[in-house]
Amino acid sequence: MNSQGEMSRAQVAVLYLVLTMAIASGIAIYSSASIITELLKIATTDLFLPILISLIAYFLLDPAVYFFQGEKISRTMSIFIVYFLLFSTIFLLLMIIGPPNWEGMLQALKADFPRYIRHAIEYLTALLKTAQEHFPIISNYNIADHVGAAAQSFFALILKETPHSAMRIGSLLLLVPLFSFFFLRDSRRIMRGLISLTPNRYFEMVLDIYAHVSWQLAHFIRGRILEALIIGVVIWMGLSLTDIRYAPILAIIAGVTNLVPYIGPLIGMIPGLVIALVDLGVGGEFWWILCVYVLIAQVIIDNFILIPILISKVSNLHPLGVILAIVMGGKLYGVVGMIIGVPIVSILNIFIIEIRHNRRNFNPYNRYFTNRGKLL
Amino acid sequence: MNPFWNNIFRDRGYEKSLAYFLSSMPMFKDLEKRELAFLEHIVHVRNYEVNETIFSEGDIGSGMYTIRSGQVQIYTLDEHGLEIDQAILGAGDFFGEIALTASRPRCASARATETTVLIGLFRTDLLEAVRRSPAPSAKIMLGLNRVVSDRLLQCSCQLEEVKEQLADNQKQHTNE
Repeated sequence: MNSQGEMSRAQVAVLYLVLTMAIASGIAIYSSASIITELLKIATTDLFLPILISLIAYFLLDPAVYFFQGEKISRTMSIFIVYFLLFSTIFLLLMIIGPPNWEGMLQALKADFPRYIRHAIEYLTALLKTAQEHFPIISNYNIADHVGAAAQSFFALILKETPHSAMRIGSLLLLVPLFSFFFLRDSRRIMRGLISLTPNRYFEMVLDIYAHVSWQLAHFIRGRILEALIIGVVIWMGLSLTDIRYAPILAIIAGVTNLVPYIGPLIGMIPGLVIALVDLGVGGEFWWILCVYVLIAQVIIDNFILIPILISKVSNLHPLGVILAIVMGGKLYGVVGMIIGVPIVSILNIFIIEIRHNRRNFNPYNRYFTNRGKLL
Repeated sequence: MNPFWNNIFRDRGYEKSLAYFLSSMPMFKDLEKRELAFLEHIVHVRNYEVNETIFSEGDIGSGMYTIRSGQVQIYTLDEHGLEIDQAILGAGDFFGEIALTASRPRCASARATETTVLIGLFRTDLLEAVRRSPAPSAKIMLGLNRVVSDRLLQCSCQLEEVKEQLADNQKQHTNE
């Protein structure tokens, strides 16, 4: 027999065996997990955008479906009514106004784009010259080349992606109504099923947190989308009063970039201002366009009317968090990441606030204390 | 009765259904079949093991429970941490209805003493139901209100009796 503290041969062998098995099973689990995530990634590549858009459509259409739903009208029927009304409105609008000439506009923009870039670079160079006269330090920095290269690569990307995205839009037109129909009809049942999986001890808390989070989420997404929509329409109307070309495209750019707080509106107005500067020159119309972008759309409509009504009910992110979310989202997924980064971080923020709110119930040692905090 | 004449074709499933159980509850007894079906979609059915805690004193409550089957012990803790039994509830009883109106801390703990099936009705679901379909929800709320006010009435009656007894006792003391 061996003395204390030393292991017999058999024990050492068993230890080695156990360790080897642990390592081997760890590697096996890791590799199979990475294979599974890889497969999941491949399977879901083209589903991310349709599901995102259908979720947004779900949040937007949900109040309308509730409006029609009643004793006589079932939820499915109500969804069909909403769909019918929506599609007929779009169809009627297209019939009355006529579809905007997207094809021609894109072709013209393709031709005009290099001209705008050239002018913008010339303008920037002139600006840089005056700056260099005042601050000789920055004379080595050639900003014009940077801007030119970035714009060229961006334009090349757009040219390359256009036929690709045409196909994608076709699939979106098919998938989004289908997905959002099922989200609208069954989301309650699905979420109830998921919530009922939680252990009894945490069930009440999860139910409460879910109710709060879903309320906040619905208001946040609805508010943001409506805000972007209204800003886009306002800018379209404001720009239509001038002779500027591409007003619809500029309005869409302004609306989409408006989803990114603080930085988005600034970026969204750059193309409009460049086109105005090149085509119309500095004059009354240019100042009017600037006025539309900054004063009317951002200050009056957005800050004074829309944000107090739509967003203020929802707990907002700290500006620092917004900027971090934009930078990190941009690093991960480019422009799309910048746009969806802030909403995703806001959703996480809402989660954290609600869980902190309910942390009294979250404490697993809670049952060993009285409500006066004494140990039992 | 001769079993031959038993109507085996009669639908007996309903008497086992959740809606039938709910309609047997005092607070939901005035609801019609359609409203019961509506209620069925609001409540949650939860299963508990023997000795499983349902909630503890001081937890933030969010709703009431009805016992469908099994047994539940309601107890509080004194300052030494010893359990004081308040009640043993059986099938058809309900508890925790105070938390339905506002998120207050629970004033007692509840524990399943057998394998128990509870039916939970929670504030968030009820509020959502009020928003979605006010008419049946109002009826549900009225039923709950009736039960709570019945309890209040009974309590005040008992209080009155105790007061009278106290007055009698004091009279006897002064007479002696």
